[in-house]
Amino acid sequence: MNGLTILVVDDDPVIRRLLEQRLLKENYKVLLAEDGSKGNETLSSNHIDVVLTDLMMPGEIGGIEVLEFAKGLDRNIEVILITAHSSVDTAVEAMKKGASDYLEKPVNFTELFLRLQKISTMRGLLRNAEDLRQAMDVTENTAAETIQNLEIVAATLQTRLDNVESILTSDTMVSEDKVADALNIILNWE
Amino acid sequence: MLKITAEELQIISQYIHEISGIYLDQSKSYLFETRLSSIAEELGCTSYRELYNKAKIDPAKKIERQIIDAISTNETLFFRDSGPFELLRHKILPEIIDLRTPHSPRLKTNIKIWSAASSTGQELYSVAMTIRELIGTQLDNFTFKLLGTDISDGAITQASYGKYNKFEIERGLARQTLQKHFTLFGDSWKVKDELRSMVNFRKLNLMLPFAGLGKFDIILCRNVAIYFTLDDRKKLFNKIADNLTDDGYLIIGSTESLTGICPRFVPKRHLRSIFYQKKIEVL
Repeated sequence: MNGLTILVVDDDPVIRRLLEQRLLKENYKVLLAEDGSKGNETLSSNHIDVVLTDLMMPGEIGGIEVLEFAKGLDRNIEVILITAHSSVDTAVEAMKKGASDYLEKPVNFTELFLRLQKISTMRGLLRNAEDLRQAMDVTENTAAETIQNLEIVAATLQTRLDNVESILTSDTMVSEDKVADALNIILNWE
Repeated sequence: MLKITAEELQIISQYIHEISGIYLDQSKSYLFETRLSSIAEELGCTSYRELYNKAKIDPAKKIERQIIDAISTNETLFFRDSGPFELLRHKILPEIIDLRTPHSPRLKTNIKIWSAASSTGQELYSVAMTIRELIGTQLDNFTFKLLGTDISDGAITQASYGKYNKFEIERGLARQTLQKHFTLFGDSWKVKDELRSMVNFRKLNLMLPFAGLGKFDIILCRNVAIYFTLDDRKKLFNKIADNLTDDGYLIIGSTESLTGICPRFVPKRHLRSIFYQKKIEVL
C-alpha cells in the first residue's frame, strides 16, 4: 500500500479505467466516479486523500465544483485537475482556489506519480510536525506544573529563611529567645 | 548549504548575542547554517566570516536586521497556553480595574499593558480580545494602552499590519472569536479596526536600556528569556521590575522560573497558574 486513497473522477470510461489500472499497479487505493455529482457523493462517504478529476465534464458539476466541494469538506484533501491544453487558464484559476496541481492531457504517468509521491511526503512531514507539536504540548504542560510548584515552594522557603535571619540578627531579643524562635520556625517546616 | 567553521561559529555566535541578546549554543552548527545560509548566499558571500564583515560595515544595518529576523523564533499563536489568559480574565484584569478606577465617574480608568516579546502580535491581540470580552460595552470608560515590542523588524511589521493567513489563524482561535474580531481579507484574516486601535507595536532590544517606556500595570514576558544567558536574564527581569508599577503584575512563560533570577518578584498562585508581583520592601 502506498498509503493514499485516490478518487478518480472522469466521464471518459477509457481514461477512468487506465488511471485505475496504473494507480493500482503503484499500490494506491483507488475509487472511481463517472461524473462530478457521483464524485461528490463518494467524497462525502469515504476518506479520500487525493482527488484526480477531469476539469471539463458534462452536467452541472465540473472539476472546479468537485474541487470546491472537496475543499469545503476537508481542507487537507488534495485535488489534482486533468485538463486539455486549451483549458490551462481555467486550471491556473483552480490553483488559486486550492487545487494542488494540474496535469495536461494526455496524462504523463511519470509526472503523475511524482506529484503523488510529493503529496505523500508532504503529508508525512505535516503529520510528523503535528506529532512533535503534541509531544511538545504534553512536555510543556508537565514541566509547567513541576516548575510552578517548585517556584512556590522556593518562595515559601525563602520567606521562612528571611524570618529566621531577621530573628537571629534582631537587636531586641536575648540569644536564648532568638534561637528558640528560629528553631520553632525551622522545626515547623512542613 | 554553506558550511560554517568552528572559528566562524564563535564570531557569529558572539555577534548574534551582541545585536540581539540571543545566545545560540555553538555545538549546534546546523542551527546557524539553516538560518543564515540563505542570507549569506543571497549577498554573494562565500563564507560566514564574509557575511559577518558585510553586516558589520553595513551603515543601514539591513543585514543585521535580516540576521535577527532569521535567528529569532517566531513560534506563537493566538491564546498560546490558555493559563495566562484565564488568569488575566478572572484575576488580574478585574483586580487592576478595581485598583485603577478613579473615584470620579467622569474620569477614565487608565491601564497600561506591555507584551515584551510580542513576535507577530498574536499574544497582544489575544490580550486585547480578552479585555473586550471582559468589558464589553463599558470600554468607553477605559483607556487601555497595549504595547507590543520585539527585536525582529519582520515580526513588528506583521504585528502592526494585523494580517494572518489561514494557517496562523486556525491555530488557537475559536470560530466565534475569529468572526467577532477579524475580517476576511483575500486569503487571509485581518484584525478589525477596533482591536487594532487598542494596540501599538515597536522595535525594542530587551538587552538595551528601556528608555522612555514608562511603567506598566501588567507585563507579559513569555518564552523569550529562555534564549538568554543566566546573567542576561537577571538583568532583563531587574529592568522589568523597574518598569512595573508597585502593585503591577508580571506573567512569564509557563515553564520559566524566576527563582535565583530576580529576588524582587514573588510568585503567587491563582488556580493552576502563577503570576508575579513585586516584593513589598520593608523599611
